[in-house]
Amino acid sequence: MGLVQREIERIGVPTIGVSIVRDYSVKVKPPRTVFLRWPFGHPLGEPYNIAQQRAVLAEAFRALCTIDKPGEIIDLPYRWRRERYDDKDISAILASCRSVRS
Amino acid sequence: MSWNRIKNQLISKIITRYPSLAKRFVDAYTPWESEDIPWTPFSKPLSECTVAVVTTAGVHHRDQQPFNMADKDGDPSYRVIDGTKPVADLMITHDYYDHHDADKDINIVFPIERLQELAHEGFIGKLADHHYGFMGHITGPHIPTLINKNGPEVARLIKQDGVDVVLLTPG
Repeated sequence: MGLVQREIERIGVPTIGVSIVRDYSVKVKPPRTVFLRWPFGHPLGEPYNIAQQRAVLAEAFRALCTIDKPGEIIDLPYRWRRERYDDKDISAILASCRSVRS
Repeated sequence: MSWNRIKNQLISKIITRYPSLAKRFVDAYTPWESEDIPWTPFSKPLSECTVAVVTTAGVHHRDQQPFNMADKDGDPSYRVIDGTKPVADLMITHDYYDHHDADKDINIVFPIERLQELAHEGFIGKLADHHYGFMGHITGPHIPTLINKNGPEVARLIKQDGVDVVLLTPG
């Protein structure tokens, strides 16, 4: 995944990657990464858990807006299970990166 | 189906269910080690951005050629995904992770419906018309193909489409 991400960034389109294997991201060095310690095949979480999936997207976009050091990996705090996702928090994260910089 | 495919699918099921075992497989696979880090500053308001998704989860349309599972080095080719088609038209070909859950709800590897909602709510500008599906687990001679040919090719297509941001998701 990181290898393709690097080529897209190289051509001039900003990218953000969701990683579930931190070691690969460290070696492949994509420009921006959010990392989750979640099982393979579940980078956005569990089937039909819309709040969880939205939370990952919100965090990914926040990382896109805030990472200013190439290669940075943000470790997201979400546990695989028993995590509560509050839609107000998710919307606040999304709103915070709605119009950064101009 | 070949014994090798059955073996790979069985391993992928076990390491998805028991993540502690996954580390052994992760450690056994040596990823490409890069030197430089490409960088394009992100400066446009998200609410005006056209967003595309590139996934390495083996996602493709049902009428497209599935990824080649017979090659032990993987399949470095890609499929163009039409984001305007219903998700029921998508499927996954990938023996190296357990996509049982993603088969039920493809958004956990290819969050197209969640992004459509975010566009509708105005958090992002809009979704691109085209997205791209690769298969992960690429090794050996296919790595240079990905870096030198298919990766840059998809990058050019994305650029031509006027995409502002790309989200990448693994399998």
